[in-house]
Amino acid sequence: MAVSAPTRRFDPVWPAAFAALVCAAPLLAVAALAVFGPWTDYMVHLVQTRLPAYLGHTALVTAIAAGLAGVIGAPLAWLVARYAFPGRGVFEWLVALPLAMPAYAAAYAWYDLTQGFGPLGGYVPTVRGPVGAGIIFAVTLYPYVYLLAREAFAGQSADAYDAARTLGESPRGAFLRAALPLARPAIAAGLALVVMESLADYGAVVHLGAPTLSVGLIRAWAGEGATADAARLAMILVGIAFLIFAVERSQRRRARQSASSGKRRPSRRVTLTGPAAALAILACATPVLLGLVIPMGRLGARALNAPLASDLMEAAGNSLFLASISGAVAAVLGLAAAYALRSGRKRAVFAARLAGLGYAVPGSVAALGVLALFGLAQGWLDAGWTFAFGGVFPALLTGSVFALIFAYQSRFAAAAIGPAESALARVTPTLDAASRTLGAGPGETAWRVHRPLISSGALLAALLVFVEVLKELPATMILRPFNFETLAVSAHNYASDERLGQAAAPALLIVLIALPPMIWIARRITGGRTGREITK
Amino acid sequence: MKPGALNDRRLAVDRAVVRFTPGRPAVDGADLTLTCGRITALLGPSGSGKSTLLRAIAGLEKLDSGAVRFEGRLWSGDGVHLQPETRRCGVVFQDYALFPHLTALGNVAFGLRGSTRAQKREAALARLETVELAHRAGAYPHELSGGEQQRIALARALAPGPDVMMLDEPFSGLDRRLRASLRETTADALRASEAATLIVTHDAEEALALADSIALMNEGRIIQHGAPDQLYLKPASVEAARLLGAVEVFDARIATGRADTPIGAVEAHSFENGTLVQVLVRPEGVGVARADAEGALADIVSRRAAAGYAKLICRLESGREVEARASLADPLRAGDAVRLALDPHFASVVAV
Repeated sequence: MAVSAPTRRFDPVWPAAFAALVCAAPLLAVAALAVFGPWTDYMVHLVQTRLPAYLGHTALVTAIAAGLAGVIGAPLAWLVARYAFPGRGVFEWLVALPLAMPAYAAAYAWYDLTQGFGPLGGYVPTVRGPVGAGIIFAVTLYPYVYLLAREAFAGQSADAYDAARTLGESPRGAFLRAALPLARPAIAAGLALVVMESLADYGAVVHLGAPTLSVGLIRAWAGEGATADAARLAMILVGIAFLIFAVERSQRRRARQSASSGKRRPSRRVTLTGPAAALAILACATPVLLGLVIPMGRLGARALNAPLASDLMEAAGNSLFLASISGAVAAVLGLAAAYALRSGRKRAVFAARLAGLGYAVPGSVAALGVLALFGLAQGWLDAGWTFAFGGVFPALLTGSVFALIFAYQSRFAAAAIGPAESALARVTPTLDAASRTLGAGPGETAWRVHRPLISSGALLAALLVFVEVLKELPATMILRPFNFETLAVSAHNYASDERLGQAAAPALLIVLIALPPMIWIARRITGGRTGREITK
Repeated sequence: MKPGALNDRRLAVDRAVVRFTPGRPAVDGADLTLTCGRITALLGPSGSGKSTLLRAIAGLEKLDSGAVRFEGRLWSGDGVHLQPETRRCGVVFQDYALFPHLTALGNVAFGLRGSTRAQKREAALARLETVELAHRAGAYPHELSGGEQQRIALARALAPGPDVMMLDEPFSGLDRRLRASLRETTADALRASEAATLIVTHDAEEALALADSIALMNEGRIIQHGAPDQLYLKPASVEAARLLGAVEVFDARIATGRADTPIGAVEAHSFENGTLVQVLVRPEGVGVARADAEGALADIVSRRAAAGYAKLICRLESGREVEARASLADPLRAGDAVRLALDPHFASVVAV
């Protein structure tokens, strides 16, 4: 029976259009710069010398990262979803926690541990180069695969497994022929997230000596001042990222379509005992040790044995400030986009989808775009100001905190749309209708029905972005105001001076600040009805 | 309030049209009158526009044309559209639409206004009492069974003392036995509320059991509205007849004020002689007697036990099959020869 929207509902086209603009404008600016910017010899030089290496590293690093993250994340998800063993309930969210560890921090720690003079030096190969970087991304980013695959395995894919067993398949055959194919879209979506994060990284690949396109872009901009050429590299990067993004979206759509709609009771988990249980615990603990605990321990040890940098607290304050503001703003933009999607109006939905593209834009590209955009605006303001009052416009737009937050939104607001969308999905149209027929007007309905139902989803959105911004490095490096240190920038600067002792403290502090919200996020996602909320 | 005064309070739907897409409107010129203190069932097949009409009355859809008035006051139409929150029109939704973040008590108290928190609580508790769920006041919707959810939704809609009550397939999600018992409680609560009540359903048995009057809806229009037994016995068209149950349709031509069927004749003085008509006969109107009695000769093709009666399929000499009913105690079996006779009380003559 036809159910259309009740009359006079809050119309979200404008906030969604604003969100779309914030997310899309920097990208458009980069594109314009790439097309219309001046051509220099640098680009020719680059193509002849380092570009092939950048591309090769990018391909190798992302391939290793995705392959390994899949090998870790998917079986882990199957184990946690289908088997019962001591500690399973804790491991369910614990194995997602390496997301609190920035890849560059893990890279510092693992390189330090395995280099010639490190404690593991000589026992294991040194973690370095494209292979090392791929491994680092795999152990810090596999939770994306785990979270999405776990949901699939716990859902319809489990039914298919049971059906296959009743049709005479062995456990192995049922897994390979029924459960895995149904979970494949979810796994592919998780892998796409791993690849996009790896593409966007700067700190880890620089430290491990595997410069990817991201690094090339920043070198072109910072080292050579060739902004337009940087923009051209950015377009290659964005092209690759969008390709992956398209894969992720189409896979996720398939995953959603195959998700069962009716009530389903979770099938009973197979209880593991004795050596099998011990093996399961080991399998769950190992990735957490590799991705979180060991790097934290190494960073902690190095931080304790080095003098604390005097600006640590200031950097921490700046990081907290940026992450909090960005999280709050992203939650608002995410909600606006979610309302737009819910309204079902063509233009609103288009705007919200456009905003969702932001996640495929690496931080360095977003920063470059904001730079170009604000440079343009600054030019106009200066000209106008000179015309009206003489002198230049008193405030510098680029290199301001505002520019930074703009760039963060352009990259991360998309991450807030997913949680906001699934929170809003709880507010069905009939709840609105029920509230209205019980005498509550639109405003009262928003306050008494929407607010309580979406507030925790909005908090999830805000915290996801909080953690991401806390870890973010390249955009912060490019756009931060002069003498404005954040924990990420401070760690990176010390690390590139080979002063790992000083780099360890800010890197560790990032993890320590990110961990409590990450624990909340992981517990909520795994404990709740759906892991889909991590839709980025 | 005197019953007479109550009967004057009406909700009138006048040629209502609601159009979602170009083409045939979902509601296509529906006329309907609801009376306070009485329950009207809106019966029709899926997609006939029942729920849309309900939503239009509640103010959740705008009318494209036509009008909805309550006690002469215009609710919808002529450019007027009262917001749903101002109509005092309670709705029990098909999915109940309980607020998941509120307890049973919180849900029931949602629409109560203009009093202190304690008074609201008390009023809501009293309301819960009437649906025998006071002991579940602190439970959240997901902790309630389907039947409990339905009763909470009913209590919630009734709590603000609405003038009009709308129930959209209120029993559709419940199992059969629960449905029967809930029907009684629901009907009692609704009659006690003195609201003008509309219950949307596609279940004829439910409509007959619950309602003081039944409106039949098909393709966006109300095709007949009347008392349940009248509708059952004297349907105005084949469509109306089929909505309420099984019916045999015989084509006939009026001769000397009567319509002849193979199993007997019906008086039909309102038609001119020679008019082509259809005679609609309920299975109860097909009398089954021993082969030595009067009537049309037929063989029993099959006999099936149903709830409370035996369903017989009989084949006339012409080959035509006719459904009839017999007592379960009756020893008639397939293969027996019988005579069929028409009882005019269960027959209705309609123009083709």
